[in-house]
Formats: sequence, C-alpha cells, structure tokens
Amino acid sequence: MSYGLALIYGVLKVINLANAGFLMLGAYVTWWMWSTWHVEPLLAPLVIVPLFFGVGFLIEKFLVRRVLGQEPIVSLLLLFGLWLVLQNLAYTLFTGDTRSIETPFIDSSVHLGPIQIAWPRIYVFVAGVLALVALQTLLTRTQLGRAIRAVAQDRDAAKITGIDVDRVMGIAFGLGIALTGFAGSLLSLLFSFNPDFGRTLLLKSFCIIVLGGLDSFVGVAFGALALALAEAFGVRYMAASLQNLISFVVLVVVLVAFPKGIAGMIRSLRRA
Amino acid sequence: MRKPIVFAAILFAAIAFPFVAPGAEYAIDVVFLILLYGTMSAGWNIVGGFAGQVSFGHAAFLGIGAYTTGILAQHSVPLPVAFLVSGSLAAIFSLLIGIPCFRLTGPYFSIATIGIGEATRLIALNWNGLTGGASGITLSVTLPIVTQYFLALGLCAVVVLATIWIQRSRFGFALAAVRADPDAAETLGVNTTIAKTQALFVSAFILGCAGSIYALHYLFISPDSVFGFSTAIALVIMPIIGGLGTVTGPLIGAVIYTAIREQLEANFQNLDLLAFGLLLMAIVLYEPKGVLGAYQRFANRKKRVASTPAAAPR
Amino acid sequence: MSDVILSGRGLTKRFGGLVAVREVDIDVPRGEIFGLIGPNGAGKSTLFRLVAGIMAPSAGTVMFDGHPLTKKSPAAICVDGVVATHQIVRPFRTMSVLDNVTIGAFFGRRPQPKGREHARAIATEVLERCGIADRAQKPARELNLAGQKRLEIARALATDPKVILLDEVLAGLNPTETDRTLDLIRSIRAGGTTIVMVEHNLRAVRGLCSHLMVLVEGRKVAEGLPDAVLADPTVIAAYLGTSVHA
Ligand SMILES: Nc1ncnc2c1ncn2[C@@H]1O[C@H](COP(=O)(O)OP(=O)(O)OP(=O)(O)O)[C@@H](O)[C@H]1O
Ligand SMILES: [Mg+2]
Repeated sequence: MSYGLALIYGVLKVINLANAGFLMLGAYVTWWMWSTWHVEPLLAPLVIVPLFFGVGFLIEKFLVRRVLGQEPIVSLLLLFGLWLVLQNLAYTLFTGDTRSIETPFIDSSVHLGPIQIAWPRIYVFVAGVLALVALQTLLTRTQLGRAIRAVAQDRDAAKITGIDVDRVMGIAFGLGIALTGFAGSLLSLLFSFNPDFGRTLLLKSFCIIVLGGLDSFVGVAFGALALALAEAFGVRYMAASLQNLISFVVLVVVLVAFPKGIAGMIRSLRRA
Repeated sequence: MRKPIVFAAILFAAIAFPFVAPGAEYAIDVVFLILLYGTMSAGWNIVGGFAGQVSFGHAAFLGIGAYTTGILAQHSVPLPVAFLVSGSLAAIFSLLIGIPCFRLTGPYFSIATIGIGEATRLIALNWNGLTGGASGITLSVTLPIVTQYFLALGLCAVVVLATIWIQRSRFGFALAAVRADPDAAETLGVNTTIAKTQALFVSAFILGCAGSIYALHYLFISPDSVFGFSTAIALVIMPIIGGLGTVTGPLIGAVIYTAIREQLEANFQNLDLLAFGLLLMAIVLYEPKGVLGAYQRFANRKKRVASTPAAAPR
Repeated sequence: MSDVILSGRGLTKRFGGLVAVREVDIDVPRGEIFGLIGPNGAGKSTLFRLVAGIMAPSAGTVMFDGHPLTKKSPAAICVDGVVATHQIVRPFRTMSVLDNVTIGAFFGRRPQPKGREHARAIATEVLERCGIADRAQKPARELNLAGQKRLEIARALATDPKVILLDEVLAGLNPTETDRTLDLIRSIRAGGTTIVMVEHNLRAVRGLCSHLMVLVEGRKVAEGLPDAVLADPTVIAAYLGTSVHA
C-alpha cells in the first residue's frame, strides 16, 4: 500500500533526497504525539500536513530557491545535506531504537472470506487513494493546480503569463513535503521504524517511477503494481532479508531492457 | 611553475615522516588514515567532481576491494596480487553498474546509486559461503604499519598524479563538458556515455585498491563497515568540503573530515553526521567550491590589494 | 552539377497528437548555403534537429554522404562531420569561452589533437575568426546574447564540420551584429563548409542563400532559388497570414 503513496512522488516529481528524511519525521511525529500525549495516530495527519507544508514552504524559500539556477547536482547536494541533518537529529532526539505504534485499531483485522486483512492496511490504502484523488483534483481542476502544472512545464513562460512563480514553487514544494509527511504518518501504522526509515522507501518509489515512465500518472500506478507483484513473488523464492534487493533488480532490468519505462514501451508499441 | 615543487616537497616530507617520527605509532596511524581517506575522496572526485555524477554507491567499490583482499588472504594468495585483483574486480564491477545507471541523468543517477550501495551490502550480508555474512571476515595477515603507510602514500600519489593528468587532458575536457551540459557535449562530438563509464572505471579501480588497504589495516571487515551507508556518505562529503573537481580539494576535505570525526565521534554519537550535514548545506549555499574555493578567493583578494598599492580611494 | 551532401526522405515527427513535421524530403547541395524558413512554430527547428541527428524521426531517413545517420548518436554524427547550433544558446556556462571552444576542437571530426596546447591553438584560431578572441578568458555566462550566439558558432566550427546547421543565429541581434555574423557565415562557406540555416530574417536569407525551403505547419510548401520562392503566392500568403514581417 505504500506504493499508492509513492505515486504522489511521481506526479509531483519531488524526488528530493530530503524526502526520505521527511517521511521518517512524519512517522516519528506520529509516534511522539501518540506516546507522550496519547494522540490517536489516525489523527496525526491533521497536525502533520499543515506543519510539514509550512516547513516545506520555508525550506523552498530560504534554501532551495537560492540554488535553483545552478547545476542540478547543487540542489541535490543541498537536499542531501538536509536529509543528513534530519536523520541525525532524529538519532539524537529519538535514539536509534526501532519504534512502533500499537493501538487496538492497529492490531485489529477483518476476515474477508478465506483471507484475513489487517484494518490499518485497509485504512492506509483508502487514505492513500483519497490523497491521490485529492491531489489529482487539485492539479487539474483548480486555478492553483493549473499554475503548478504551468510552472512545472515552463517556468519562464509561466512568469510571462503573470503567474507568481516563486509563490507557486513554494506551495508545490510545501505540498510535496506535506504529502511525504502524511505518507510517513500512515506508514508508521504498518511498519516499525528507526531514523534510517525512508531510505529503502525512497528507492522503491524511485523504482516505481522508472518502471512507469517519468511523466505519466497511469504509468506510475502501473509501476507500483508491477513492483508489488514482483516483490510478492520474489519473497516466495528467496530469503525475506533479500526483499529489498528485488526492487533494485527490477530497476536494473527495466533500465537495461526498456530505457523509456514500461509506459514508454507500450506507447511505442501502440504507435508501431 | 611553483606547483610541482610544492608537490615534490610534500611528497618528500610524507616519505621522510615515518623515519623522523619513529615509535610515534599514533601519529603515523593518523597520517595513514588521512592518506587512505584522501585517496578514497580523490577517487570519488573523478566521477562526482570532474564528471558531475554524484554517486552515493561508491562504498560498493570499497567493499568489493576489501572483501576481495580478505577472501584472497584467507587462501594465502600473495598480497601484491590480492591488491591488484581487488582494484580490478571493483573496476570490472563498475562496468556492470555503469551500463544501466548511466542511462539516468542528474538526480536520478544519484538515487540509483543509493540502490547499488544497498544491493551490494545486502548481497555481502546474505552470501554467507563467500563473505561470512554478518559476522564478516577476519584477516590473519599482519602488515607493519609503516608498510601500510607507504602503500597508502604510493596509491595517494598515483591518484593525485592521475587527477592532474585528467584535468589537463582531452578526457578531462570531456568530463567537464558532461558535467556542464551533457546534451550540448553530445552535439559537439563528446561520447558522454563512454566518458562517464571511463571515469567510473578509473574511480572504481582506485576505490578497490583503497578497500584492499582498508582490509589490511583493520584486519576485520563486515558488510556494515565497508558497504555501509555512512561510508558512502563520507565519500561524498570529503570532496565537497574540500572542493569538487579540483586536485587538492578532496585531500583537504579528507583532513578536515578525519579531524572532525575524531573529535566528535568519540564523544557524541551521530553528532558528527549532523555536523557534516550542516557543513554540507553551508558549503553548497555559500561556497560551492569548498574550502579550496574560499581560500582562493581570500588569496586573490590579498593579491589584488598587494599588486595595486597605488589604487587610491576615489 | 551540384551533388547532395545531406538528404532526408519522408521525414515525419510526431509529438503526441501534434505532427510537427510531415513527410518532408530535403536535399542539401554540397558547399552551398541552404535556407529553411517559415512562420513561428512551422516545425523548422524540429526538421533541423531531425536532419542533424539530435532527434530521431518518427518516420523517414537521413543520409549524409551516402551513409544513413538515423540510428547514430549525436556524438557519432558530429564525428562524421555534421554539427548543429542550438536555437536557445547552451554554452558551458561556468567554463571560459576558450575552454568551450577547446571542447569542440578536442572532439568533433578533425583528426583529434593529442595535447591540450594543440587543441587550445585550434580554439584560439576559431575564436579569432569569430571575432570573440578578446573575451577568450571570460566565463561563457558573462557574454551578452550576441557573444553567446557567436560562441555557439565557434564551438561548432571548432569541430571542423563538413556541414554546419545554424538555428536562428541572427535572432535578437542589432544591425551591426547581424552584418558581422553574415560575414562570418560567408567566410564559413568560403572555407568549403556546407551550411543549413533556419532564419526569420528574410532579407538576410535572400542575400545569403542559394537554396530556400519554406515550411508551413510541418509541410514543405515551396523550394528553389530564393527570389522565385519568395515571390511564390503560397509563400506570401503563408507569411501574410502570420505576424512575421519580411
Ligand atoms: N520537444 C517537443 N515536444 C512537444 N512538442 C514540440 C517539441 N518541440 C517542438 N514542439 C512543437 O512542434 C511545433 C514545431 O516547433 P518548432 O520548434 O520546430 O517550430 P519552429 O518553426 O522552429 O518555430 P520558431 O520559429 O518559433 O523557432 C510547435 O508547435 C512546437 O510546440
Ligand atoms: Mg525554431
């Protein structure tokens, strides 16, 4: 189900390395509010989304914007530095111990015919899909969404048409971080985590995006499905500890075989 | 030119150092570590600095080198042979990586290399028959620290000379073009894929050799030590602190890195990486050319002041 | 009889649903200046990229001196002797002007120079020809637009091409700068290099080109000697239909 959330990364193209850090923080904030104030983990997103949005907006304004015109590796390194800071801040604040959240809801499950599904998985799946639909609506139906897409396509042209590009970029970045924190919060219901949480998920979501082709919404969903299937099958035949290896193997195979992603391949097949 | 003289002087001092400081095991050990880390840093810089392809997966090459030496030493293969095989295997492995990963550009390449680091670590962890799994490999050879020292010094000198050559050669220009604008480079006849693959090959060879020295020094290697993400991070941070794409920058970075780490790691866990994260952000924001760039700016200002004594204030 | 150095057959390029270039045949005669004109968005730059091998066509083939270019990488095509400039200038911004051109000299078609000094010498010579030798040590990003356009040409020239493709190298230049660039283009031709140029400035095209092709909405609508083409009623109609002035 985490793949549903990885879609978001794909659409917004905010694959910045600091995302791994914010994902981890989303999980920690949820855990921290739960363990100190007994805040229901399901409600944590109500705090996390606005908070992370604000943080993201400020990061864009004061950090990312300053390196925007330079070579791409510069902003990559900046965000990598930010990730290191977040990660090790978490180590200092929360120690390296593995944490997990346990509430009655989280441990409950439902029987659907022969299979048993945990309630939190269903909840996360539904919440992920809702977030996705909300995002899609925002991007296609609202004035702001159109502005974001315009800026993504051509920053200069957008500026000429009177869009406040700086503000839009800040909002988009904030949105990306907020979604990431939201995802982290949801994932904390399913998995236990430590400050290094996020790295393998970053890899997976990247793998999904490459699978699906870098620019197509449907492709990303498709990639998520393909990877989930590959992992499910892989686990049957190899040690569970190698599960994370699967996404990487898939990634390499896809890159070698279909450099344009599966969506790109289908597109070229259709054309032929 | 002044530079070759300075280089020769430093080299001479480094050669003489173990003889003037006999018995000062600790000092030799520290300088050895700086040389080793400097070598690794300069090796990374060939791909990350000159070609602008930031790799978070270079620990893989170090690890392959270290494990190759560890395994060969267990089978009593002569050390010089093990050393060269270590570098060569890492270099060959780089070709396997380069083919898929160089289809990606910019940040996407970088993220894929995180995957490589992770994948190699997992393989080392799970291939028990070859690598001993999580319990790692213990080497039973002992090499005097002075021998290790000269091995590291020799490798470091070779790497510095190689970087100087690259900087002035046709190859170096190709890498610079790849870094600045790969598409424009292609239209001018630069085969960017080949250039990047060659850079990665050289870089991987150096890291493989460094890994061999690493194994001979610590005599114990495990997936988390050589293949670990913190090793990969160190490889990225050192050249950036010192100055990306320069000859001396990565070495300066290694000195600073080793100094900060020795200070912080002993007292506060994880604070060192926090500090490096902040340092990295500060450098990217204020001085993208690293310490070396800051120094050059400082030196230029002094020179300008000195050479225009008559420049009266208006 | 002028032979053909670069030719395309049935070239088509689709971007999603949009057909930017539709079934165009093109023959560039050796040693001449070939002009490609048309209203904004006609597909000139796209055709140009197809012919230069920067972009793969959806259909059709490109032949250079009797060899197909269609499946080659841009680098290999440049080594063969076909080089293109970018309509939107793309200098290596942080490098010096001289280093920019040195890269062209190091790679490209000419028997490749071994040492840096040799490549530097070639680059310096090209810079002088292009009239920007005085700014050789400046970082490329500090040049003004005219300078950067010249740098595009200089870099391409340094690869010693047989065919050089120029995309709107006159756009945005003032009259003096335009005249200097026209002189440069003539001198390139005089050196035996074939030139393909995309241009909006019809006056310049008329004075310079020996062949002209007109593209409108991805289709070839006229081709031939400049005076005849520019007098063609369909061409005039196409231009009057847009806001471009001759
Ligand atoms: N990479 C691309 N992806 C999608 N559409 C493109 C792409 N490049 C060009 N187009 C479209 O193809 C059409 C032709 O563009 P092209 O740049 O070839 O025109 P042009 O004749 O060079 O125009 P101009 O005179 O403005 O330079 C335009 O409608 C443009 O929007
Ligand atoms: Mg154009």
